[in-house]
Amino acid sequence: MKKKWIAAMMAAAIAFTGLAGCGSKDSNGGGQGGNSEDSPKVEAPTEPFGDTVKYDPSVEINEGKDITVELWEWGSDDLFQQIIDGYTAMHPNVTIKLVNNPWEDYWTKLPLALDGANGPALFNVHNSYHENLINYLAPLEIPVEDLEADFTGVAAHLIDDKVYYIDYGMMTGTVYYNKDMWETAGLTDADIPKTWDQMREVAKKLTIREGDSLVQAGLNFNDDFHQNYLLGLNYQLGENLFQEDGKTPNVNSESMKKVMQMLVDMYETDGVGSKDFGEKGSDSFGQGQSAMVIQWGHYYNTLNTTWSDINFGVFEIPTFDENPYAYNRYNGESTFGINKNAPADQQAVAQDFVKYFLANDDAQIAFNLAMSTFPAKKSLADDPKILENPSLAVLSEHIDHYIWPGPMPSTVETSLKKAGQDIFFNGVDIDTALNAAQEEIIRDMKSSAFVSVENLYEFAEK
Amino acid sequence: MKRKVSSVLLNGILLILGIVTVYPFFWMLSSSFKQNKEIMALHQKFLPQEFILSNYESMNAHFNFLRFFANSLFITVVVTLLVIYTSTLCGFVLSKYKFKGREFLFSVVLSTMMIPWCVTIIPKYSMIQSFGWMNSYKALIIPAMFSGFGIFMMKQHIASLPDEILEAARIDGANEFYIFHRIIMPMAKNGISSIAIFQFLWTWEDFLWPYLVINDQEKQLLAVGLKMFNGQYSTDYGALFAATAISILPVLLIYLFFQKQFIAGIASSAVKG
Amino acid sequence: MFKKSSPLQSKSEIILRNIVVAAMVVFFMLFLIIPIGIAFAGSFHEWNPLSGTYRFLGFENYKEVFTSALFGKSMLNTLIFSVVVIIFRVGLGLGIAYAIYSSLVKYKSFFRAVYYMPVVTPMVAVAFVWKFMYNPQIGTINQIFGLDVNWLMNPKTALIAVIIMTIWKDFGYAVVMFMAGLYSLPSDALEAANVDGASAWQTFRYITFPLLKPMTLFVVITSIISYIQAYVQILIMTEGGPGTATYLASYIIYDEAFVKYNFGYASALSFVLFIITAVFTWLSFRVSGKEE
Repeated sequence: MKKKWIAAMMAAAIAFTGLAGCGSKDSNGGGQGGNSEDSPKVEAPTEPFGDTVKYDPSVEINEGKDITVELWEWGSDDLFQQIIDGYTAMHPNVTIKLVNNPWEDYWTKLPLALDGANGPALFNVHNSYHENLINYLAPLEIPVEDLEADFTGVAAHLIDDKVYYIDYGMMTGTVYYNKDMWETAGLTDADIPKTWDQMREVAKKLTIREGDSLVQAGLNFNDDFHQNYLLGLNYQLGENLFQEDGKTPNVNSESMKKVMQMLVDMYETDGVGSKDFGEKGSDSFGQGQSAMVIQWGHYYNTLNTTWSDINFGVFEIPTFDENPYAYNRYNGESTFGINKNAPADQQAVAQDFVKYFLANDDAQIAFNLAMSTFPAKKSLADDPKILENPSLAVLSEHIDHYIWPGPMPSTVETSLKKAGQDIFFNGVDIDTALNAAQEEIIRDMKSSAFVSVENLYEFAEK
Repeated sequence: MKRKVSSVLLNGILLILGIVTVYPFFWMLSSSFKQNKEIMALHQKFLPQEFILSNYESMNAHFNFLRFFANSLFITVVVTLLVIYTSTLCGFVLSKYKFKGREFLFSVVLSTMMIPWCVTIIPKYSMIQSFGWMNSYKALIIPAMFSGFGIFMMKQHIASLPDEILEAARIDGANEFYIFHRIIMPMAKNGISSIAIFQFLWTWEDFLWPYLVINDQEKQLLAVGLKMFNGQYSTDYGALFAATAISILPVLLIYLFFQKQFIAGIASSAVKG
Repeated sequence: MFKKSSPLQSKSEIILRNIVVAAMVVFFMLFLIIPIGIAFAGSFHEWNPLSGTYRFLGFENYKEVFTSALFGKSMLNTLIFSVVVIIFRVGLGLGIAYAIYSSLVKYKSFFRAVYYMPVVTPMVAVAFVWKFMYNPQIGTINQIFGLDVNWLMNPKTALIAVIIMTIWKDFGYAVVMFMAGLYSLPSDALEAANVDGASAWQTFRYITFPLLKPMTLFVVITSIISYIQAYVQILIMTEGGPGTATYLASYIIYDEAFVKYNFGYASALSFVLFIITAVFTWLSFRVSGKEE
């Protein structure tokens, strides 16, 4: 009797989820897209467009024959669909199927898919996974000189005179501050700090305590200090993250120690925050618990969605002496990769699609605004739409003084995070912790092919 | 009188322990109806200030979570049924038949229970790749067909079943297949319930293996899906709690309904140790 | 031994037996024995599937395992973790099972169900929920007890926090196991004790507990096996942090295998762990005075 009841319930459960699965296909972001029947008719351009890299819409693709390629990405279906629709409006014989995998999943699945014979011809690239992907990438057929003419930072992506992907935008860190807290503390726009000393003073004014306990942190760098401070401020002091040979890390340098010491002093001497207060700086700012945080471009979007109550402003990252070697590290958001194992006709479509993406200003602007990155396309550096985004506007003056070290293996970040945690929580002294990080990175990079491109920085000391 | 006091005391302690045990569940359930802002708010309240259902809707918007649920249900039921069958069958053969090498085979099976996942998972993964089973449910079902634990429990359990019934059936002319299906299996109900619940739970919560071999989101399973709520830059806690609430239901229900048999099954297997 | 009641094994028995034994042999060879062999061979190589390396290294991986300070520390953590959780699991399980079993308690099914609930919840889910509960500013634990402890980031409390969560999740299993064991106890032994005028404690200590030894052993051994392999809680709650304070042995293996793709080194670690598991299992048998 009981068993029959169970069986019936299970059957009902399966039926229910089956139906729900069908019904939610429209509303979910996962699974396939690529169907543009619902979106408004896209106007297809007829004249060639672009700067040096030009795209000619009148050239037929795949001799007009029908062809389908897959495009894998990890999170912005609508954004990609926009570009796809623009492309297929010009070339109705091409179908581009969008396949979405969430970020963590994406990096396990993609290399495996590319290994087989049926991998996607086009896929979104992030340079932090460069080593996993490079063996599967086909070089871009666009002449390198043309790319260099239109985009910054191309040289850093040259491998044996070929380029496999470039950056469409640059993401870096800026300071986000809570305007209401700023006002309450009696600060004005004139107080916006340009140096670290000024920053520390401002942070002190923004810190509020009740007795001994912290109620509002002036500055919070918990959980991401390694990405936003340790891996970047060293450049301000004129030292790179890798030594001359480009392979040996340089994380126990005097500059790194100085930066780490400053962080420790901020919490322990200045008392502007605490390792125990606000697990994650980014959450804490959003919760209205911390007055300032340094975050990278994507945080702009997070603030507008999850933490929409916060009245925030942005300013450029302070420096030690207002004349730094470089202001910070940046990371490029990469253009799409082309699968070298895909059939030739699919690859041809992929190459064409990438060229379209690069030549099309609207596409470039859309992507850069969505990711809050500063456009690598030189002609867009003072585009008004870009400058409307405050986290990008503050970058425009010095954007050419930001450095990309190259696609560093993840061990650089994780080892520094551990070192920082050891210093703050486990009572390890700075020298020991940084030396340990240095050793760990060397060990983990034993079989890595990574070479730093810090020497390709425009203002590098020759 | 003393008994009454002890009774009240004991019941009270058990009740408090019970509350401590279920509190996280209720908290999580309550949070699944809160907006993310409320979940992350500095001043926490147990009940939602604003009761919303959108977490349950959005949990399905990020990725097709109900699809994960259905997939997991399918795989778990299939694997559980298979394991029940093979464990009972092997348990029967190992306990009621006498043949050379029986003890050796049994100790090999027993020792496999001790092997950590890390030893075999990498080669199994390479094997699945070379078989071409990647991203296919074959990779989830076939390597799970036999369970050392299941065989062990069923052998112990069936060993305690009286031989006389089997002998009687044999004398009546029944063949072994009939004996197994019509006599042993019904008599082993309790053992089967125990195996069913353990196996159901293990398959339901298995994370690493589906994570490695399943690529398509459409085929992915629940435990892996839960981890996906940890996005590139932040965690959507509301949706995560909603998803968790849903993922607990099946096993809980099965356990609640099969409790008695489950415990009886363990009891009879445990006696022999 | 061999019963003379049926002179020969029937044909169907022979067929059934052969099929089943063959199936078992094939399966365990394919999915257990051969993989163990491959892993063993791999442990002597530098093996990276992404870059396609498979280079013979001799004993280098094992040398690294035994000289690795991180591994040593993680083994210590694993030991502490396992011992504490097992003590509480068995203690709580036995105590609660006995309490429910005793005639003093009603609603046995209710309690049994309640305590088992955490067991049937996926570990991934539990870890996320507890991670949130441990949040120093907004987590339930600090809010309810009025504390201000940074549970998962303070090296003194991080491992303890994970231990508490694991005990919460797993003690129900022991409760159920011990209840099963109690219900299968021969009632005459207990009655005899009652008649002899033994107190509840004496009955428990000299009769019930020794009779429950096989079950206790079973719970302890399955616990050892399971806790030496535990890593999901660490992966989700602390990532081994702060620094390396909460590294567990299996977490290193997960990290080396699926984040760093050092399959060779991970295999070497796995084998060492395997041996350790076997040793502790054997020790448990010895301590309980039983041979397998």
